Amino acid sequence: MISADTLAFILMSGILLGGLYALMATGLAIVWTTLGVFNFAHGTLLALGAYVAWQVTQSVSGGLGFLLAVIISMGVMFLVGFLLHYVLIKPFERHENVVLLAVITTLAGASIIENTILLSWGPRDRQISPPISGKIEFFGAAFNTYDFVILGISLLALLALAFFLRHTTRGRSMRAAAQNREAAELMGLNVSLLFALTIGLAAATAALAGIFIGSLRFISPAFGADPLMKSLIVVILGGVARFSSPIYAAFIVGIAESFSAYFLGLYWAPAVLFAMMIAVLLIKPEGLFGHRSKTL
Amino acid sequence: MSAPLLQISNLAGGYPPVSVFHGIDFSIGDHESVGFFGPNGHGKSTLLKTIAGLIDPWDGDIVFDGVQLNAKGRMRARTSRNLNYDLFRRRRMVAQTAVRSGLIYVMQGNLLFPEMTVGEVLEIAPVAAAGRQGVGEMREQIDALFPRLRERWTSKIRYLSGGERQMVSIAVGLLALPRLLMLDEPTLGLSPKLRIELSVAIRKIRQTKVPLIIVDQNIEFLTSLVDRLLLFDHGSITREIAADAMPSHDEVMAMMFGEAS
Repeated sequence: MISADTLAFILMSGILLGGLYALMATGLAIVWTTLGVFNFAHGTLLALGAYVAWQVTQSVSGGLGFLLAVIISMGVMFLVGFLLHYVLIKPFERHENVVLLAVITTLAGASIIENTILLSWGPRDRQISPPISGKIEFFGAAFNTYDFVILGISLLALLALAFFLRHTTRGRSMRAAAQNREAAELMGLNVSLLFALTIGLAAATAALAGIFIGSLRFISPAFGADPLMKSLIVVILGGVARFSSPIYAAFIVGIAESFSAYFLGLYWAPAVLFAMMIAVLLIKPEGLFGHRSKTL
Repeated sequence: MSAPLLQISNLAGGYPPVSVFHGIDFSIGDHESVGFFGPNGHGKSTLLKTIAGLIDPWDGDIVFDGVQLNAKGRMRARTSRNLNYDLFRRRRMVAQTAVRSGLIYVMQGNLLFPEMTVGEVLEIAPVAAAGRQGVGEMREQIDALFPRLRERWTSKIRYLSGGERQMVSIAVGLLALPRLLMLDEPTLGLSPKLRIELSVAIRKIRQTKVPLIIVDQNIEFLTSLVDRLLLFDHGSITREIAADAMPSHDEVMAMMFGEAS
């Protein structure tokens, strides 16, 4: 029989993991709901963001360097995302098979970005040194303070994004473009620009997630594949009916992962997650928190 | 006579490869209103969508306020077994330029933005009016026209009735400060009470001297509003009727479909 302390520990690590997944999956979800295409380059955007941040921390060290790295990396990735729309998606948006084409073009983009990373930074693993050390005692188990900081910042970033989408003119225009493209065009909104901004924002959140992962584990040119897969599971599990659906799902996935990693072993965790995803696809294809529509 | 506000000449269009309308010629002067009348499925909405810039015109010119809105010349329909020309084809007209110059189209049965509230939609609506004066006055005017919208300010569009949704659509169009407002079947599918309410509102809009293009199935409603009536049939304008010779419903039916025996 396992103790309550152990259970609390597993639950807590799941929640900490969930915050990170929420950040990753939201970027994917807003692109899916707004443009109606699936961004397979999301994982490599995460990796590129992490590498940009690593480069900054190499020249400026310490907490200031980390802060600077976050800001610069998010800014750079916003621009990269913005450009990706015009290169990978916009040329094909009037094609009848745009969804399928976007799968191919974003996969191609992912491959190009990944190899660019490989060329510029080499194949060696790097690590962004975490700015905060120290432990917090929690239910008799020691957690890194940094993990809680990550959870807090992730949730804050998501709150800020939600606020932007709900309460600013630009954000509302983005939601409008997502919900009815024709009507948005008739309103005089520059839909292409709004779409590009959406991908830019998604890429910026991806960069933040990439930096967090890079400071917890290691970064390598191909490390985006795993976060992309996790985000995919989260988005499918939760659905995209609301901004918050993938966030709830992220915590479910995080907790499920830490429980299955403890009880079944680390290598079984992906299998459990995929089983959950398939079960949801069979029983409630629109996602646990979804209804049959996709909106932002 | 000065140049007309909107000049359409030899316009053709449709959804490739299906041609929907062709050889459309008409013009609208300042303060003038025009009605379109014709059977369903003959291309009235497609024509208006083309003029608004949602669909690329195939041929002809759309000149609004002296500015050519579409690319000149014929759209070339190139097909190839090996190359996909769709990817290279540029838009021949952009809705944004039309809307920003004041050519506003209110879509038929517009679903608008289902998950946004009335307030949110009406607050972002004036983007098209960028920089022009009068949005504040227009807001007051809309409050007077559709008091019901204030009551539903915080409800999502998804939960509005068809009539309320139509009111939001028209209000969005008005907030763009139209210089020409195209209303596509504004009273479609509404209850008689709402139909009356909306037609009163449209009449008030007409009194503000905003030029209108109205498509409707109710000829009495149309004739009471417009200066000219254009009969639309099989993708072209078959007849033009001036205000002083406005026919009744039966007469129009006879013109279009032949005398009833």
